[in-house]
Amino acid sequence: MRSYLSLLLFATAGLVVAFAPLPVQPVAPQERTFQIDARQYAYSPSELHVNPGDIITFELVSNDVVHGLYVDGYGVSVEADPGQTATLTFVADQPGSFRFRCNVTCGAMHPFMIGKLTVGTNHWFYRGIGLAILAALGVLMSTKRNA
Amino acid sequence: MKRSELVARIVISTGVLFTIGAPIYMWTRTPLIHAHMSEEGGWTPDILKANVGEPLQLHFTSDDVMHGFAIGQLDMKAVYIEPGKVTDVSLTFDKPGVYTFFCTRWCGVNHWRMRGTIEVTGDSSASEDASVKIPLYVSLGLDIDAPHKSPAVPEMQPSAIRGKELVNNLNLDRLVVPESYKSTSPYQIFQQLDPASLSDSEKWDLVAYLWQTSSTPESIANGKKLYGQNCAACHGENGAGDGVFADDIAAAGEASMQSMSGAMDSMMRAPADFTDPKRMLSASPAVLQGKILRGGMGTGMPMWGSIFTEEQIWDLVSYLYSFQFEYEK
Amino acid sequence: MAKLELTRNRFIKNILVNRYPQLAVFIVMLVGYIFAILAGLIGTPVGSHNFSIVFVWIAWWAILILVAVPFFGRGWCAVCPIPLPGEWIQRGAVLAPPDKKAKWLNLRVPRMFRNIWLQNISFLLLALFSSVLLTTPNITGMVLAGMLFGAIGLSMIFERRAFCRYLCPVGGFIGIYAQTAPLELRIKDKQVCASCVGKPCYNGSSAGYGCPWDVFPGGLTKNTYCGLCMECIRTCPHDNIAVNVRPFSVDLAKPSSRIDEAFKAFIMLGSAMIYACVLLGPWGILKDAAYNVGTATWFIYVVAFLATIFGILPGFFTLGLLQKKSSLPLKHRFASLSTALIPLGLMFWVAFSLSFVMTNASYIMAALSDPLGLGWNLLGTANMAWQPMLTTLLAPAQTLALVGGLIWSTRTAQKAANEVNVSSLPVIGYCFAVTVFMMWLLL
Repeated sequence: MRSYLSLLLFATAGLVVAFAPLPVQPVAPQERTFQIDARQYAYSPSELHVNPGDIITFELVSNDVVHGLYVDGYGVSVEADPGQTATLTFVADQPGSFRFRCNVTCGAMHPFMIGKLTVGTNHWFYRGIGLAILAALGVLMSTKRNA
Repeated sequence: MKRSELVARIVISTGVLFTIGAPIYMWTRTPLIHAHMSEEGGWTPDILKANVGEPLQLHFTSDDVMHGFAIGQLDMKAVYIEPGKVTDVSLTFDKPGVYTFFCTRWCGVNHWRMRGTIEVTGDSSASEDASVKIPLYVSLGLDIDAPHKSPAVPEMQPSAIRGKELVNNLNLDRLVVPESYKSTSPYQIFQQLDPASLSDSEKWDLVAYLWQTSSTPESIANGKKLYGQNCAACHGENGAGDGVFADDIAAAGEASMQSMSGAMDSMMRAPADFTDPKRMLSASPAVLQGKILRGGMGTGMPMWGSIFTEEQIWDLVSYLYSFQFEYEK
Repeated sequence: MAKLELTRNRFIKNILVNRYPQLAVFIVMLVGYIFAILAGLIGTPVGSHNFSIVFVWIAWWAILILVAVPFFGRGWCAVCPIPLPGEWIQRGAVLAPPDKKAKWLNLRVPRMFRNIWLQNISFLLLALFSSVLLTTPNITGMVLAGMLFGAIGLSMIFERRAFCRYLCPVGGFIGIYAQTAPLELRIKDKQVCASCVGKPCYNGSSAGYGCPWDVFPGGLTKNTYCGLCMECIRTCPHDNIAVNVRPFSVDLAKPSSRIDEAFKAFIMLGSAMIYACVLLGPWGILKDAAYNVGTATWFIYVVAFLATIFGILPGFFTLGLLQKKSSLPLKHRFASLSTALIPLGLMFWVAFSLSFVMTNASYIMAALSDPLGLGWNLLGTANMAWQPMLTTLLAPAQTLALVGGLIWSTRTAQKAANEVNVSSLPVIGYCFAVTVFMMWLLL
């Protein structure tokens, strides 16, 4: 009986860690503009951080060939030829970490031309750590009993 | 050998031979024109042949990055050539001659070198264009390589809007566009204006107004579009000679050019700065047309003569002056 | 321990024992493999639109690491086309053994190479050149061709499947990860084997060939080296061999004490982390270093790669083992406890692969319609746009895989530690630390 109870306890804790909404510090949404330079095969800057609700504008400047920028999760994208800066504006309403990647084949390493946009906190990473701690503790405790 | 073994062997051999043979056969039967970045070979093949009146079927693919295809002097809508995919183009020529085709999407600093030719033979159905048009700078005998530094520059950016007001207020109806607008630089017009009645900045405003009225809004808009697609990558989106390839060109120029005189070198290596009044205000439209047509000058400036139509170059020239003058929107 | 004997079912047994179904699968695989070589060599150089890149590194890899290995162990080896031409030549037949045995050298692989070190090295070679390999069709084509012809050559010199057992870079990791799978091939009754004369399962008979994997089925206790080729089921005159479904990772309860296998676990763990960092991270300078083979920065990348795999990762691991004095030699403890890294490494690869597979799976339909980039449109999907799939599910799926891997490796560490009488806590701590690091890299 006891082992079922502790399993239930860990499972519930796990669900909470995984899905409970995190407390959000209310920060007034701003309009943020970033110039992102793209070259074979990297963006500069490649790591961006904004607050949830911000209205983001990316100005994509291609430095060598035609590049694109597609944001995972949001599904928005833009492409730019060298000499013609292209802009993409969207509202960062989903919190978390999202990779942005090139969506115009620009050479061999094109599939790995990646940047990272973090809106608010990278909550999945912290949930993951929480779940990892729960997992390790859970196994240790359950086997300590069986030992 | 057992019959099952024999059958199995036949099936395997047939399958393998077919798998090797069929694709190779299809591959040899598919004539593709491969587009690469210029450093990797540009167009292969880059010389095509056609006959007047017969449709020429072309199949393009890109082997690396996004490219485009268009034929010079025809004001043709460009076709995109995507990496790994095949784009079909069908062309019919009604005049014989040598046509230049070129890449229309920036594919590296040497993008403009990515050109090829189509040799079209046959009898022309259209009336023959007897003479080849001589560029204005040639007929005027202008040396487009000569330095052109304006002796006087305005203190603030001349405005065609203020110029227009001046014309209305002062009733200057004798101010007409001179016949020789194309062969005259803004500075020369500035000099010719009656010095007594107007201040220097007012005179420059009039020059700006004159320049705007010498071309149409459509032509300037077209010039802007052409500039963005073809020039901005080197000359900068704001005309300051600071485009994304400016550093590469300056470095390449330094490596390849023999040093003449110091100041001239640095002026010629980097892409021209159209926001520099000293350079622009003493350049006549004919000089600018010449530089665009002929390119070169020991720099990375491409030769656009076989690519742009005459109208397109004049559109570009009228747009270039908008980096110097504030135009009415 | 619950075991479900699949071969008890007559239909299943027939399908496995009858040579025709297997041959049909073999022909499809071989033809596909040859086509992949061809596509790589004569097709478009643009990887995303070339059948060889899309089908080898996206489609096949996804099926391998997400389905075949976790659920079928060495299931891929059972259908892999690489050894086939060589084996048919070596055997002198495509189906049942011929009356006249073919005369090839059939040398025994020298003792020095009868381990997985060559496979460790071959995998590392591919890994160090992976940025170029994964993106360049003609390189992939040449590597595939090299493996095929290498296997043919080895079959004419050595006995059995020398390439598969001792050289194949894929086989190296499929083998150790196969220990976690819920599928196995085992004998039913030890006594029957003890009294069997001639051992045709290993030596062959008129019904079939001796084990091509150089395994004695009678002594098979783990999945690591059995390639599920079904020859032994065909030859066993006593119907004493079965294919069973069993719980996951049963084999890990008997940890191996082999150093080559231990280092394979580190190679796989380390490569997954390095790939996640270099290929999926936002650091362009690392991608340049990995891609520009031959430059100084690439050499630095190679040194860092090897130092991580042979120095940093095993080094920290060993520190945890040095805590307690034990009667067993360090080597033994090291090898046994590194078993915990097997399920962890597998889940690292699953988490890593989910990312680039979900991002690029949309290339598969386009590659099927125009495999060579010649402008075909066989299925009408040649112009299907690139569209990442299920990106909102990706982070949760990766987290689940990594946390699942941690649970699994913790359990494995405990069982292994029990066997060698040390505390499992340092190893568990190590697994936790690398898992969190992998989460940071991927999420």
